[in-house]
Amino acid sequence: MTARMKNSQWWMHSFLFVYVVALLFPLLWLFMSSFKTNRQITENTWSFPTSFNFDNYVAAWSTANIGKYALNSVFVTVTACLLTLLFAAMTSFAISRMKYEKMNKAVYQFILLGLLVPAGALFIPLYRLIQGIELFGHKLYDTHLSLILVYSTYALPITVFIIYAFMLSIPSELEEAGIMDGLGASGLFFRIIVPISVPALVTVFILNFIGNWNEYILSQLFITSESLRTLPTGMATFNDGYRTNFASLSAAVIISIIPVLLVYVFLQRQIIEGMTAGSVKG
Amino acid sequence: MNKALKNPITYIAFIIPTLLLYALFFCYPVIVSFIYGFFRWDGITEKVFIGFDNFVRLWDDEVFRKALLNNFYFMVFSLIVNIPLVFLISIIISKVRRMRDFYKSAVFVPVVISTATVAILFGVLYNYDSGLINQFIRLVAPESWAREWLSDPKLALLSILIANAWQNVGFFIVLCLAAILNIPKEIVEASKIDGVNGWQETWSITLPLVKPVLFVMLLLSVSGTMKVLDIVQIMTNGGPFQSTEVMATYMLKVGFRSMELGYGSAIGVAMFIIILVLTGILQRLTKSEEVQY
Repeated sequence: MTARMKNSQWWMHSFLFVYVVALLFPLLWLFMSSFKTNRQITENTWSFPTSFNFDNYVAAWSTANIGKYALNSVFVTVTACLLTLLFAAMTSFAISRMKYEKMNKAVYQFILLGLLVPAGALFIPLYRLIQGIELFGHKLYDTHLSLILVYSTYALPITVFIIYAFMLSIPSELEEAGIMDGLGASGLFFRIIVPISVPALVTVFILNFIGNWNEYILSQLFITSESLRTLPTGMATFNDGYRTNFASLSAAVIISIIPVLLVYVFLQRQIIEGMTAGSVKG
Repeated sequence: MNKALKNPITYIAFIIPTLLLYALFFCYPVIVSFIYGFFRWDGITEKVFIGFDNFVRLWDDEVFRKALLNNFYFMVFSLIVNIPLVFLISIIISKVRRMRDFYKSAVFVPVVISTATVAILFGVLYNYDSGLINQFIRLVAPESWAREWLSDPKLALLSILIANAWQNVGFFIVLCLAAILNIPKEIVEASKIDGVNGWQETWSITLPLVKPVLFVMLLLSVSGTMKVLDIVQIMTNGGPFQSTEVMATYMLKVGFRSMELGYGSAIGVAMFIIILVLTGILQRLTKSEEVQY
């Protein structure tokens, strides 16, 4: 019996091991290719690179402008995430803790409608809208602000959904203690409810961060200036221009993956939890 | 007592920013896309009201039908390949006693990589001369088996489906694994005492108990495959010969390349309705199935 169980464990491990290797081998192969020349990639596909030659990385970094695009991505992504978090937390607090039953329900239902409509179906009117808006005499089109506003908006429904559920579960005794101490509604929000809600806030921050960081189509539609591009758009443009230059392409892909993988190694539990939060609760 | 929480000014100040953004960038485009759908419009000259003509045209549009069919291929592939694979891997990970966390983290790696990067990565892997796939084929099979994966109309869609699966399967494995590990131990132990073997356990105990998460996966797959866009646009942009065209890529081409904003919006509306109907049917079908431990 125990022998049979040991045997089956061994089989399962082998199976999973083969699966994981097959799954991740393309990344390793790309990593090896990134140190080769184009000719070596074709001729010595399977061998290790003969030397760690960083030429491809230098070429990719300067031609693909990855550093600049990554900075743009960080700025747009973080700002949009913080904006979503602030607005969604305020709204969730109002509709979960404040005493306006009918209004609360109406607002919640209204915002949840957003989960039904795929953003993908709205690209054309959204594009026209962004082109038409002027803020203080400046066009919104072709600015980072256009992306930030739209990303924030489209993250709101799922964010409110998750934070609302969390805030609803906070016992009212804590609030009452705050009220005794003379806190008003906004005091309760900032001093009591927000600090308690940090786990939920972190979860949705990660969820939205990954979504915004990887977003491609809107960024391609709204941004025309080369210097304002975000990382996915920059990568796609580089891909169009260098389709046959695998050495540079591999290096560019590796450069764009490494920071993500590093963050993933350190925060994997939170990232997995955050990214799956919407579906588990949804 | 309730006074602090009945403060209309704070209440309004707290919900207005959300509602404003939401009304402007979400509600307005939704309404407008329905309206645009009834007009012929190139974005520059005056809109012309044409009633249901755009939708009638959609019905007869060969390219749209082809695109819709391709979306269905995406859906079918994820239902008959991705989901069974997800279930199999999750079951096995749940049964090993060691390194469970390692396997979980490893299968999730492709999920954190952006779709744009995945599309480029697979573009390199599928290359005829030096791509990993063809080089592997040359290693184990005759040279003639090597293929132009992305420029052969017969293979391009399949190639994209595989890249898409590579990226998405890990996400579903983590969902499914969590559900399997959530099954109370007592149930499994009780069944073992009753003499249930491994396969019976999987088939008649685990599978029924994780139905809710399978349903979530189904729902996400259906809506995800109907609106699929990024990966197709970067890998083939619908080509070759529109063999990989999907509704969303076609919508963008019609709207931005041919500047037919009315017709493009009609495609968007159709997409929205198709997703709503399909997920509605799914929800109806599974409504009665509640799991009780």
